[in-house]
Amino acid sequence: MSDWEPKIVSFLCNWCSYGAADLAGVSRMEYPPNIRVIRIPCTGRMSPKFILAVFMQGADGVWVSG
Amino acid sequence: MIAQEKYQEALEIITRTLPLPGVIGRICPHPCEEACRRKEVDEPISICSLKRFAADKFNINELPLPDITPRDEKVAIIGAGPAGLTAAYFLAKDGFPVTIFEALPVAGGMLRVGIPDYRLPPDVLEKEIKWVTRLGVEIKFNTALGRDITIDGLMDDGYKSVYLAIGCHADMKLNIPNEDAKGVIPGVKFLRDSALYDIKKLEGSVVIIGGGDVAIDAARSALRLGADKVSILYRRTQAEMPARNEEIEDALEEGVDIQFLMAPVEVVENEGRAVGLKCIKMELGDPDASGRRRPVPVKGSEFVVDTDIIIPAIGQRTDTSFLESATGVELDRWHNIQVDPLTFETTKKGIFAGGDAQTGPSIAIKAVAAGREAAVSISRYLNAEDLKEGREPLQLPQENFNPFSKDIEKVKRSRMPRISMEKRKKGFTEVERGLRENQAVIEAEKCLNCMVCCECFECVKVCKAEALTLKTHSQKDETVEVNVGSIILASGAKPYDPSKHDTFNYAKHPNVVTSMEFERILSASGPYGGHLVRPSDKKEPKKIAWLQCIGSRDVHLGANGYCSGVCCTYAIKEAMLAKEHSHGNLDAAIFYIDIRTYGKDFERYYIRAKDDLGVRFIKSRITNIVPVKETGMQLIRYVDETGKSVEEEFDMVVLSVGLTVSMEIAEKAGKWGIDLDHYNFARTSSFEPVKTSRPGIFVCGAFQAPKDIPSSVIDSSAAASAAGSILAGSRWSLTKTRDIPEEIDVRGEPPRIGVFVCRCGTNIAGIVNIDDVVEYSKNQPGVVHVEDNMFSCSQDTQDKITEVIKEHRLNRVVVAACTPKTHEPLFQETLINAGVNKYLFEMANIRNQCSWVHQDNPGKATEKSKDIVKMAIAKARLFEPLSESTMEINQSALVIGGGVAGMAAAQNMAEQGYKTFLIEKKDFLGGQARHLHETWRGEDIQKYLNMLIDAVRTDQNIKVFLNSQITQVDGFVGNFKTTIKSNEESRVLEHGVTIIASGASELKPDLYLYGQDSRVVTGLELQQRFVDNDQALARLKTAVFIQCVGSRIKERPYCSKVCCTQSIKSAVKLKEINPGMNVFILYRDLRPYGLREDLYREARSKGIVFIRYDSNKDLTADVEHDDLKVTFADRVLRRTMEIRPDLLILASAIVPETDDSLTRFYKIPRNADGFFEEAHVKLRPVDFATDGIFVCGLAHAPKPIDESIVQGKAAVSRAVTLLAGKTCQASGNVAKTNPLICSSCGVCVSVCPYSAPSFIPEDDRFFPGRAQINPVLCKGCGLCVASCRSGAINLKGFDNDQIFAQIFSLNEAG
Repeated sequence: MSDWEPKIVSFLCNWCSYGAADLAGVSRMEYPPNIRVIRIPCTGRMSPKFILAVFMQGADGVWVSG
Repeated sequence: MIAQEKYQEALEIITRTLPLPGVIGRICPHPCEEACRRKEVDEPISICSLKRFAADKFNINELPLPDITPRDEKVAIIGAGPAGLTAAYFLAKDGFPVTIFEALPVAGGMLRVGIPDYRLPPDVLEKEIKWVTRLGVEIKFNTALGRDITIDGLMDDGYKSVYLAIGCHADMKLNIPNEDAKGVIPGVKFLRDSALYDIKKLEGSVVIIGGGDVAIDAARSALRLGADKVSILYRRTQAEMPARNEEIEDALEEGVDIQFLMAPVEVVENEGRAVGLKCIKMELGDPDASGRRRPVPVKGSEFVVDTDIIIPAIGQRTDTSFLESATGVELDRWHNIQVDPLTFETTKKGIFAGGDAQTGPSIAIKAVAAGREAAVSISRYLNAEDLKEGREPLQLPQENFNPFSKDIEKVKRSRMPRISMEKRKKGFTEVERGLRENQAVIEAEKCLNCMVCCECFECVKVCKAEALTLKTHSQKDETVEVNVGSIILASGAKPYDPSKHDTFNYAKHPNVVTSMEFERILSASGPYGGHLVRPSDKKEPKKIAWLQCIGSRDVHLGANGYCSGVCCTYAIKEAMLAKEHSHGNLDAAIFYIDIRTYGKDFERYYIRAKDDLGVRFIKSRITNIVPVKETGMQLIRYVDETGKSVEEEFDMVVLSVGLTVSMEIAEKAGKWGIDLDHYNFARTSSFEPVKTSRPGIFVCGAFQAPKDIPSSVIDSSAAASAAGSILAGSRWSLTKTRDIPEEIDVRGEPPRIGVFVCRCGTNIAGIVNIDDVVEYSKNQPGVVHVEDNMFSCSQDTQDKITEVIKEHRLNRVVVAACTPKTHEPLFQETLINAGVNKYLFEMANIRNQCSWVHQDNPGKATEKSKDIVKMAIAKARLFEPLSESTMEINQSALVIGGGVAGMAAAQNMAEQGYKTFLIEKKDFLGGQARHLHETWRGEDIQKYLNMLIDAVRTDQNIKVFLNSQITQVDGFVGNFKTTIKSNEESRVLEHGVTIIASGASELKPDLYLYGQDSRVVTGLELQQRFVDNDQALARLKTAVFIQCVGSRIKERPYCSKVCCTQSIKSAVKLKEINPGMNVFILYRDLRPYGLREDLYREARSKGIVFIRYDSNKDLTADVEHDDLKVTFADRVLRRTMEIRPDLLILASAIVPETDDSLTRFYKIPRNADGFFEEAHVKLRPVDFATDGIFVCGLAHAPKPIDESIVQGKAAVSRAVTLLAGKTCQASGNVAKTNPLICSSCGVCVSVCPYSAPSFIPEDDRFFPGRAQINPVLCKGCGLCVASCRSGAINLKGFDNDQIFAQIFSLNEAG
């Protein structure tokens, strides 16, 4: 199991966390590539259905940040 | 290039102008070195030896051949010497077929048969001739003009132009008896014969006549060919010898005997063979035409030298025997070929000449230059262009040189190694062996970069976007005249140069860097890719020291007396970032005089650095640092807080350099006609801080005074506003309206998606396999076009995308590039230009969130990029065109607060022609400024305030409401409705924008007997006494100020910014009133920032005593026998001290308003300290995140009067940009209800922070009671969508199906 990497899908608020993810890029901060970002206008937009859909799709974790 | 060890590039640059670098680099007397400015430091750079080095280091024939466009016109060149070869080289590069006709069996001319092999080995020459012939040049040997060919004959053979470069191969005659005897060999012929191995050995003694290079070459060759004794006879002295000194020295070294002041009279012969030379002694007479003293024979001094061989080498001339074969070509009076000096055209059209045949015998580099010029002429001639246009005799530009420091270390010129004397005498092996690599690099590093750019064009090679081309590189400055109504100077300041202080070793030691350089080291795009390493050995530093106030707060020569205002905060930032970069292993120490973190929220930052991150702050001004031998470490000595002497070594030292106005700007200010202060900052007043001494010219930023980014940005808006007031009448008079193509209706069409994958130079393409992503995208459903671009955001690519959209009738566009946060609007504009709705666009962020963060894993980064693009395509497939609602903007403003900031804003707003409401809760205008006496510069605040109040009261555009309170606020940007209660009367004000200038006030402390003893007052109360001209102040004997009362404490961890300067000003005033008064200021860090440092210096000179107290220990005020007694701990003396003043002044904090009604009414945030929080500290310092609302003055943060005025104007500037637009567009990404499904539950109405949803009135015909959303108010956050239990709300652009499409297109979620 040592080389197992979880698949993570993140929902990031356009105004804060998405910008922070951009900034991490500007600062060339390395992080593992097994994460996919979906931009949402606000974490208020987040719906439980999205989380279920992501798990259905085979993801191991969901990260909502905003 | 050589300094950078890029030898191929060096050779490429050299061969742009010189086809024979190895040859010229060996034999040239290098007149160019005379012009080298390095001689002002030590000696000129060995340019010549460096050229040779480059040619030896990289094989010229491995250079790539240039792109050549072939031409038909044939050119004939006569002579394969330096002139002929050079002309052939450049003509061949222009594409012309060139044939060189050479009389000898070898090529190179004098280079081959004139210069002996020990100076120029034939293989070097042959290699470079091959470089010329590689371009397609053909050389026909043993073909002499006159003997084998004629010019007319060549023309008949189809040659369109002829270049005569036949050289000077004929010897001058001695004109003495028996000159033709056997054993007399003319010099040039001798050298030629020995070069062609016709002479292989000499025996006996040799006498050479002459003093030029040929004489010396002949002598040294004769020696090598085995002659027993070689003598040179010269008729003048060594001083007059034309041969180069190095050559003469070499000859003497090798044992050549040189006899001066002797001339030949007759060759003594025996049976037709020379056996001796009769000579006569000479003496020097009067100077001749050449300026040299003429040799005169000494009568009766004849004598005979016995010799076997005589070599006369007294000069050479052009062999003119070809003339008959070149009709029309004429000679000049020196019997050389006559040409036009600019074009090198002979008297016959289309026939050109150059080299020795045209100039007489000269140096090879001149022949090369002539050949190059002739090539230009011939090329122009064959193109039927004007030969002369734009050509001038070459002149060396001797101006606009890059200045260089006087402290450059002197470095001796390197000498090339040579072969042994034994070898030298034995044969023709090359004597000089060329510079060694380390010698060459050191020599090249000495270059002073006189012209800054050396035109290596390496930048052109690396610019993948083709923004830099040879054409754009050669762009010159041009003068453009513009008619303007106002000028804003934002010329800034530059970092102080610390190299003038040798005690810091900045110029000498790589580990001592300036703060700006350290910023670069920390930067991801910096020299070490963002890895914190020290420059000397690229090792991670363990200890770094920052030295504050380098060049600031220093009145020594060359430094600046002011505080630069920005260095404390940036040093703290750098120390914190450095700690982050080093993952916590770094010891960061900041050596300071006072920590001046006076800006908004800066104090918190300082506390965080000190307490949370462990940055060490050491109060000690460091004036010198000592490098520790060979370790790269720097030793700092200081005295710590306990009085102990400490020595500490640091890996790196960062010099926190201040800001300084460049001399260039200061000089220009004279031309602009504006006054400067004694530090060369633009002179302004506190009441008009952006106005220079010249009407219509405004200033902002660090050219006005040293300042940080937020202040500069505020300044710039204020300057724009000040310019706007005088130009308000011409608003919109010179604007152009853009033509927007009509939008194509794509509804109902199947998706036709275009995907544009950006390489972003190497930013994306360096990690992600772009070709893979392109191929992958082609297979996605709905995609009809995929392409990759070098830089998708460049203007030409934008234009191209517009065309591609039209050509392929794309109705959805995906750009896989950087982040939509910065680039979405740009690409949306591109869609609009192509007639496509801008909401049919999606960005795939494969840079910021992929290539930049997965540099170590290109494979995975490519896979992730494909996924990201796939998700974007899936979403784009479901896009629908959206419309934006337009709304009118009410052309008036509301200013809340009648203090200086509010009034300055109202006045400025009115000047720009907008109706302004100014509301004040008190029954008078003026705010805190009513208590202030003078600015720190001594300007009368009351006088200004009364003028301002008058102006506001009388302005037709301003309506003032006193005693007013806001009771309700409705509406939004463009259409606010604010209800106020003014003198018990309610009224509704309609306005498009709102400016908050609600102020702050002085803390009334409950400390130090304030309120209990009348001798204890606040700073503002003392100011009021000055305003009131209180005579009692003159009777005071001792006054004590306590700083930071209520500021910089746990409950209020901010600096109140104004108190230090205000206390110093008040102290100076007290001293003025009564010079005998004892005045003490008890402080923690004294913060008279920027130019205010002058006031601090003045105060000290007036005898005001500044004492640093320990804020961690008790400071008390008591009454003892009616005396006020202040007791405190002095940090310097480390003793408890006591002063008994008769006036105790508390420099009390500025505290925000406690009433939070504005926060509620306008939904605007406050920071942790209670001051209003701007949208962005640097980028939007007077805006709120909520549109249409702006902030200025003390409500934003503590600040002095000048900064309040500036901020008031800045807020107006930002507000006017909205008002002047007259209408504004709301975003199309808004929520919409479906009333058919809506259950009227009202959740959306209650959750919306923007009051966008409402119920449809009950009396409405359709869907009464159901929810509707006002698209103007909606911010598109989606809160209502997520909370709608009926699923009746859609969010356009982020709808459920679109987000699901993204989720389901995930490749098993990555």
